[in-house]
Amino acid sequence: MNFVKRYLIPRLVQYILVVFLGVTAVFLIPRLTPTDPIAHTIAQIRSQGAYLDPATVDEFIQDLKELYGLEGSILDQYIGLWKRLFRGDFGVSFFQFPTRVSELVGRALPWTVGLLLTTTVISWVAGNLVGGLAGYFSRKRWAQALDFAAMVIRPLPYYIFSFTLLLLFGYVIRLFPIAGGAAIGSVPSFTWSYIADVLRHAFLPALSLTILGGTIWFQTMKLIVQNVNAESFVQYAKLGGVKEGIIVSKYVIRNAMLPQITALGLALGQIFSGALITEIVFSYPGLGTLLYNAVITGDYNLIMGITIFSIVAITTAILLLDLLYPLFDPRVRYR
Amino acid sequence: MRSKTILLIVSLLTTVGLLVACRPAVPVTPVEVTRIVQGTPIVVTATPAPVVKEKAPDVLGILPRSETLIAAQLTGRVGSPDDFNEWVGWKWRDRGMQQLMNEPLWSVDFATGKIINGLADGDPVYNENFTQVTIPLRKGVTWSDGQPFTAADVVFTVETLMKYEGFNAHSFFVENVESVSAPDDYTVVFKLKQPNSRFHTTFLDRWGSTWIMPKHIFEKVDDPVKFQFNPPVGTGPYKLHSYDPAGYWTIWERREDWDKSPTGIMFGEPKPKYIVFQAFANEGAKILAQLTHQLDAVDLSAEGLKAALAQGKTNRAYQPTFPWVVNNDPCITGLTFNTAKPPYDNPEVRWALLLAIDIVEYEAQAVDGAATMSPVHVPSLGPYPDYYIKPMQDWLKEFTLDLGGGETFKPYDPEAPARLAEYAKSRGYVIPDDPAFIAQAFGYGWYKYAPDAAEKLLIKNGFSRDADGKWRLPDGKPWRIEVISRSDMSHLEYRNAAAAVQQWKKFGIDAVHVPSDNVSALTQYGEYDVSGNWPAFEPWGAGADLSRVLDVFNSAYVKPIGEMTQGHTSRWSSPEMDDVLKRLRETDPTKTDQVVAIGTEGLKILVQNMPGIPTFGYIGFVSWDEYYWTNWPGAENPYTQPYTHWGPFKYMTPFLQPTGN
Repeated sequence: MNFVKRYLIPRLVQYILVVFLGVTAVFLIPRLTPTDPIAHTIAQIRSQGAYLDPATVDEFIQDLKELYGLEGSILDQYIGLWKRLFRGDFGVSFFQFPTRVSELVGRALPWTVGLLLTTTVISWVAGNLVGGLAGYFSRKRWAQALDFAAMVIRPLPYYIFSFTLLLLFGYVIRLFPIAGGAAIGSVPSFTWSYIADVLRHAFLPALSLTILGGTIWFQTMKLIVQNVNAESFVQYAKLGGVKEGIIVSKYVIRNAMLPQITALGLALGQIFSGALITEIVFSYPGLGTLLYNAVITGDYNLIMGITIFSIVAITTAILLLDLLYPLFDPRVRYR
Repeated sequence: MRSKTILLIVSLLTTVGLLVACRPAVPVTPVEVTRIVQGTPIVVTATPAPVVKEKAPDVLGILPRSETLIAAQLTGRVGSPDDFNEWVGWKWRDRGMQQLMNEPLWSVDFATGKIINGLADGDPVYNENFTQVTIPLRKGVTWSDGQPFTAADVVFTVETLMKYEGFNAHSFFVENVESVSAPDDYTVVFKLKQPNSRFHTTFLDRWGSTWIMPKHIFEKVDDPVKFQFNPPVGTGPYKLHSYDPAGYWTIWERREDWDKSPTGIMFGEPKPKYIVFQAFANEGAKILAQLTHQLDAVDLSAEGLKAALAQGKTNRAYQPTFPWVVNNDPCITGLTFNTAKPPYDNPEVRWALLLAIDIVEYEAQAVDGAATMSPVHVPSLGPYPDYYIKPMQDWLKEFTLDLGGGETFKPYDPEAPARLAEYAKSRGYVIPDDPAFIAQAFGYGWYKYAPDAAEKLLIKNGFSRDADGKWRLPDGKPWRIEVISRSDMSHLEYRNAAAAVQQWKKFGIDAVHVPSDNVSALTQYGEYDVSGNWPAFEPWGAGADLSRVLDVFNSAYVKPIGEMTQGHTSRWSSPEMDDVLKRLRETDPTKTDQVVAIGTEGLKILVQNMPGIPTFGYIGFVSWDEYYWTNWPGAENPYTQPYTHWGPFKYMTPFLQPTGN
């Protein structure tokens, strides 16, 4: 009962408050920018010199306002937003009218989650495992070589790094496709050939994210382990003759894991913002370009749909971490 | 241990280096070829595409590559891939809808300067006061589902568009159409609410038009605005095969009854069995795809085209030699002043800023000198030099500015194209000395680089220089010009803005370039000084009519700053231009002499007032891979317009030839 009152309820209240403020901010911020969805729609219809009779532009603007639900005061629109959200409805995309926002997000989400969830988990596990060992055995030559490699890779701009992979494996060696999430003409299905095709297309984007992400986890973990390794309790364990395997796994890495678990939770929450540069370099489908285009075109509903989804995902991840943390950290449990 | 590590790294680097180095070298043996320049054959040096057999990776899986043409989609990934209802909002119609699936009533082909009859069987026929128009329709056309196309489809389309507010063209038809009827299956008659001699142009495809709905499908739909029209049905030579739910590709398949489409009836069987439009999120991937024969046609940036031509063994550009680019696009680029905002409301200030531009340096900075300059607000291409630019030469030479203090200045410079040609030669490009070639490639003239005259004009209007030579406004404040443009560095709006800033800085003005992704809203609401926007609306690209260019300067469309303008973003108008527009509207567009006379008056008024500076015609950086398909409509054989994203691409398909690879 004490746990519920002192630990669970404050965090649930905080969760609801953050979501409320986040949704309100997401509603207001696009409306405060000079981006105008109607101006963008008209500009797009006039693109490449296509004609829109100037005499009828005023009427067209009015039609668009009605279609997009942009009539009425900001307060009316804000109340309308909450009404829709309680029904689980994000409305329609302005720029991709009349496609529903939920449909657009639902279409992009599997690609983003599939790629980023996998790469985040793989890079976290591999980076922390290798980083932990390299931190503990930091004087070994292999650990120094890995550290050197990480120092070379990490400062590389991601765009350059990923494009180099594309150039090397897509053009020079031609092992992997240059663009897309699946082969042209393929039909999504649960067949081995389609899954293999998707994996083949995802390999280079995943490799780029895993290498750079893993390098960051590696360096962080290595530094934490080196610090923990210098702590008195580790020194006492060594002097006390505790087996090295137990010192590494139970004393050092377990303690060093705590901040990395927090960081993993945040990284998993941020998956839902997409990976814009990865999507651009590899022409890979996902939420990143969807959100970018929504911002560029002032597609308020789509911006709100994606960012609300992201806010809920990140705050939920943080809440779950808070709730699970006592399992990893006895100090929290005993409090 | 250390030596092993070093050995491993060196081995890896060597392997990668060898892989790169072993790529076959680019053949550079030039040959002499004959090109037709304005009807005159001339011999130029060109580098031919070598015949190189190379196995291309089969990326298509289900489609035979040798029967498939792949083109890059200009507007990128489709945001609403399930939706083909192109009458509502923006539906990425260049995914193949406007090029392959649809036939319009008429199409503009800017390469030949012709209007091509599609679903129409001839020109529109107006009554004497332009309140009624009769359109004859082509017989023997069927929709891709086998249903016959008739006048009932046209009548239904117009009545449906008028009935529902959600359609893009709703306001236009409500504003213009009193009634529409079909006296027989192949004739449509429109009665108009007011005289409109250009009403039919809503059905004229120039990168878009009002397309005809299949009545037998839309009449069964409850809400045609929200209807997704999937699978779509059209009268074009191709039908939808499949599409990527993520929006990256759309595949079109040649109709078995292609001979029932206007394209098939007019030009024969389209050669590619399948055509794929694929979206790429970055230019590097487009180039890599083309170099590996996974992409047959693509629009690139200037730098991208050079890279593709340098690396590709089977690539070619629109022109076989410098300037390589597509230079017959019916569009004039340049700069636009916000004439509702001081000091740009003063035509003499606008002219001073023009005279501070050295067009040769400007073009060199913007496009490496590869574009055709124009002194007036239409491009120097297609029908426009003959109708307007050449006949206006004497007037342009005599056009005079009053610099104040009794001094006058004639700014026109017919030698500017020759100066640009010299620049191109200095860059090492092969430029024939033939005046016809220079006029075709670089234009007929522009304006003098005259900073002294610009200075006098500014001083006449109260401007001054400070001790550092920097210009100050008449109120003594420093003069700062913000030139806005799109943020896409390869776009010619960006290139124009960047070049203008360099020129005006050199002249002593604190000019800054502000790229913005929000440029469409900023310009439409008038929140800017100068923009890289086109200085006039694009002409039709065929015929002499300039209504499309001039009509946006109608004073009725001008809105105050802060309200979205209906007309041109310069917000400029004048009673003289209103008079020209009134007379143009009352003139039959097919009466060429009358249309040219009135259009010339309009162009002169624009030169005198210079609400925007025309610089050079739009240039397209098209790269074609000839590994699978040849007979592209290049400059030596411009049988149709060269883009795969324009509607008349469908008319290119019967003439493309498979190589057998």
